[in-house]
Amino acid sequence: MSLKAKIKRFLDTASRRRLIWWACVLGLIALAFMTWSLFDQGWIPVMMAMSVGQGIGTLSFALFLLVVFIDLRQAEFRPSIPEDLRKPKTD
Amino acid sequence: MHVSPLSWIALACAIAAAIIMILYLIYRPPLNATTKALLVLGVGVLPIMTAMIGNVEGLRATEQQGFCGSCHTMEPWIEDANDLQSESLAAIHSRTIKFGGSSCYVCHKDYGMLGYAVTKIGGMGHVYKFVTEWMWYDREEALSKIHIARPFKNENCMQCHSTTGSIWSDVQDHVGLLDDLRAGETSCVSAGCHGYAHPFSKPEEETPQAMEAHSDLQLSSPEGT
Repeated sequence: MSLKAKIKRFLDTASRRRLIWWACVLGLIALAFMTWSLFDQGWIPVMMAMSVGQGIGTLSFALFLLVVFIDLRQAEFRPSIPEDLRKPKTD
Repeated sequence: MHVSPLSWIALACAIAAAIIMILYLIYRPPLNATTKALLVLGVGVLPIMTAMIGNVEGLRATEQQGFCGSCHTMEPWIEDANDLQSESLAAIHSRTIKFGGSSCYVCHKDYGMLGYAVTKIGGMGHVYKFVTEWMWYDREEALSKIHIARPFKNENCMQCHSTTGSIWSDVQDHVGLLDDLRAGETSCVSAGCHGYAHPFSKPEEETPQAMEAHSDLQLSSPEGT
């Protein structure tokens, strides 16, 4: 199976709830690193917050964006303009 | 420990985000519009605000003496800088309000156009050296083995002591060495001039002359120097 097919299959079958669960767990870990550095400004907390913390936080947000993408991909088009008021297709 | 108002805002954002995420993990509500809107706040907006403020505060923290001194190998340098009895250049400068708690950074930072980034990259190099090597040194080893990566630039001194003021120009040695000093060919902090900034870290045979050379000079404020 090609990479493109694998990605498509993943987008079709991935559980949004599971992805958000991971986004929340990773987000909490990232927040722990970031808040630690606000109150202990030694080199370990600051470096950890600005590298590991931000990396995990970015991954968490990326998972959330992936869920948004999956949502949009699976959304049905529901036009707000009634069909008889739309411009003809030949216009 | 000083915690800035920005840090409290970041903490408030972090707590709000954590509450939203924990509630989601506990109750696992259906992914309807309300849940999604809350998750935008909890996973997106609030953590991003915490991260942005964390970056600002983190970068500010890296300019403080406390940050430099949080590696045990730097303790002798910090102790000397904060010693009210010390006559080293580092201690004298640390006692002025313009340097104070940021004296390491103010003296050692790169003042070029990309100075901030270059200084931070240099700092990353220090962290790498600390984690891979210096961490295992005791104080004695640190004093004998850790040295400044490249000679201290006169340009850094000249950020305050512009070499154009009348008090500065009244010193004959300054006038005679003006071009060399501006070109960085003679160091302000060499043994024959103002002495090393951290003399305790140098071999003993190098320090006496360093401290005697201008011991009779009154140290003036940067204005006029």
